[in-house]
Amino acid sequence: MPEPSIDHARRTIRVVGYLLLVVATVAGAVGLYELLTEGHLHEATTLHVPWGLWVAGYIFFLGLSAGSFLVSALPYVFGVRRLEPIGPLALIVSLMCLLLAGMLIMADLGHPERMHKVLLSLNPTSPMAWMSVLYNFYIAVVLGQLYFALRLSLVARLQEGQRPRWLFRLLTLGSRRTDDDSVRRDHRWLRRLGVAGILVTVVLLWCEGSIFAVAKARPNWFGGLLPVVILISALASGGALLTLLSAVSCRVHTDLKADLVRWLAIFTVGVLAVETLMLASEILTVLYGGILHETHAWMTTITGPYAVGFWGVQIGLGVVLPAMIVALPATRRRVGWLGLAGLLVVVGMMVTRWNIVIPAQLVASFEGLGEAYHHARFQEGYFPSRGEWLVALGVAALGGWMFLVASRLLPLDGLHHASIPEGAE
Amino acid sequence: MGKHMDMTRRGFLKGAGAAGLAATTSVLPGCLQEAPAAGGRRWGMVIDRRRCVGCRACMVACKAENHTPSGVCYNLVLEEEAGSYPHVTRRFLPRPCMQCQHSSCTLVCPTKATYHREDGIVAVDYDKCIGCRYCIAACPYGARCFDYGHNYDPNLTPPERQPSPEYGENRIRRKGQSPIGNVRKCTFCLHRITKGLNPACAETCIGHAIHFGDLNDPGGLCLVHGEKLQELLASRAPMRLKEELGNEPSVYYLD
Repeated sequence: MPEPSIDHARRTIRVVGYLLLVVATVAGAVGLYELLTEGHLHEATTLHVPWGLWVAGYIFFLGLSAGSFLVSALPYVFGVRRLEPIGPLALIVSLMCLLLAGMLIMADLGHPERMHKVLLSLNPTSPMAWMSVLYNFYIAVVLGQLYFALRLSLVARLQEGQRPRWLFRLLTLGSRRTDDDSVRRDHRWLRRLGVAGILVTVVLLWCEGSIFAVAKARPNWFGGLLPVVILISALASGGALLTLLSAVSCRVHTDLKADLVRWLAIFTVGVLAVETLMLASEILTVLYGGILHETHAWMTTITGPYAVGFWGVQIGLGVVLPAMIVALPATRRRVGWLGLAGLLVVVGMMVTRWNIVIPAQLVASFEGLGEAYHHARFQEGYFPSRGEWLVALGVAALGGWMFLVASRLLPLDGLHHASIPEGAE
Repeated sequence: MGKHMDMTRRGFLKGAGAAGLAATTSVLPGCLQEAPAAGGRRWGMVIDRRRCVGCRACMVACKAENHTPSGVCYNLVLEEEAGSYPHVTRRFLPRPCMQCQHSSCTLVCPTKATYHREDGIVAVDYDKCIGCRYCIAACPYGARCFDYGHNYDPNLTPPERQPSPEYGENRIRRKGQSPIGNVRKCTFCLHRITKGLNPACAETCIGHAIHFGDLNDPGGLCLVHGEKLQELLASRAPMRLKEELGNEPSVYYLD
């Protein structure tokens, strides 16, 4: 039984959490109203920086989604059994983040009502077009995976008479089987869809990275490294989010949970190390070359106005501190600390995404336009407008609500723990 | 039978290889991008920088002709100062859309909303454009603007109330409707060219700095001032902006 002081602290955290969620939701509603009534009039993007906070948020959420999906494939495809308990959690997180990413990009589009034209009039030379196609495949795969991952426990809930019955009936698509054959079929489909999903996810992330990497007008995007960095960092961000969520919500056996969270944290930090190595390689090469229009963006990031975000949040909080938590004997076995490491990596990843999208656009693709035409849309520099912050906050809050509802209604954790002997691989 | 099977297999592999190659080239076509039909007309400009006095009449003519709103400007005149006092020069660079033959914008547009016309002009189908702004990010010349919905006056000035003749569509800007929320660009005044008129900027230039005509015609004349375009290009060392990117702009500058 928890001590009263711990109980009180948890209640306080919960109240503050709900309060923040409500405030962010109201903010999002105001932002959405302004967007629907005023359009993009109050957005701070410009001719030089056509993609702002919402695009950075899009690749942040898409990274979380794809990373979570790839982590979910570890138990279903590669048989990493210690991760089985978080399979459904990883899939639902993947779906939610995917929807949040979609919302942000819809907000960013000038005419979101024409989104279907990407499929109807697809340009085969556009990475963005292929990303949109794969986005749809990806949603289908994640939904399919979720069905087979949750079916058995939803049927069990129906049989136990739990509510809401209509939801469970809908989600099981009328299936009532619990025999061994049906369970084997579920696992077979989880593996098949997992393999398909890995392919779709990797190509999706590659296309997403290529959107930036093929833009030769932006020297800091252009190149072959960025799609790989996007892929690797997606894996790190997904691992980190699952570390955090499994630390705070997974209800499997304590030893098993500690083992699972530790494994996820080590995995995340390992992937982060590879990403950091690639980042260092890119920065050092660009600075060594000294080509002015290439060094400008990195100097803005590492010594200019973004230096605090880069060194303090992206590297300090997002890489060094989590690595220390995972390495130090005092913290490396504590689930709470490891969960914190996951949170820090996710926060660091927000800045990483910002630093991928924004600084490269701060170097004008064509100089002198701001002096030739005096208008805010032609000036260099970018800081998100109030409306952009509000919508982004609202989308994040929606993610919070979706997670709360999903974790209450759906059997997201401990699904398979009964089938896993304690301390199993 | 075995030989027949082997040949069939080989044939299959050849076919698969050819299909794979075709698929690859359709996805990775930076250098293979389809250029406007050879032998056809290719509208282009030759801009004589020595003749440009920086009056910006071309900017004003462009805005008046296309009814572009606040925050949207197709043709810009850039200024540069060189040297140090007393040896100082001040030069100007009119910058319309380059109408690149290997344009980055058409390559990345997800919906083919921006496309090459056979006459070399890069146009935008406002009804297909989703407003993703990828073309703005990809354009090396900053020659595209997003229409955010700004107006010069909240009550709209007379030109703002009138339809824009762009693409011969005569659209009136209304909240939430194209071209608001679209990416817009210079088309060499396509609506004028199709009527046998010249682009507004070239027509209005007081220094006769902007020459316009068919660059594919060996004896083609400037349709505004009558000079032979190829002679102009041959007599003075022409340059194109950011030539190293391989976009093959259709705008030449004479220094």
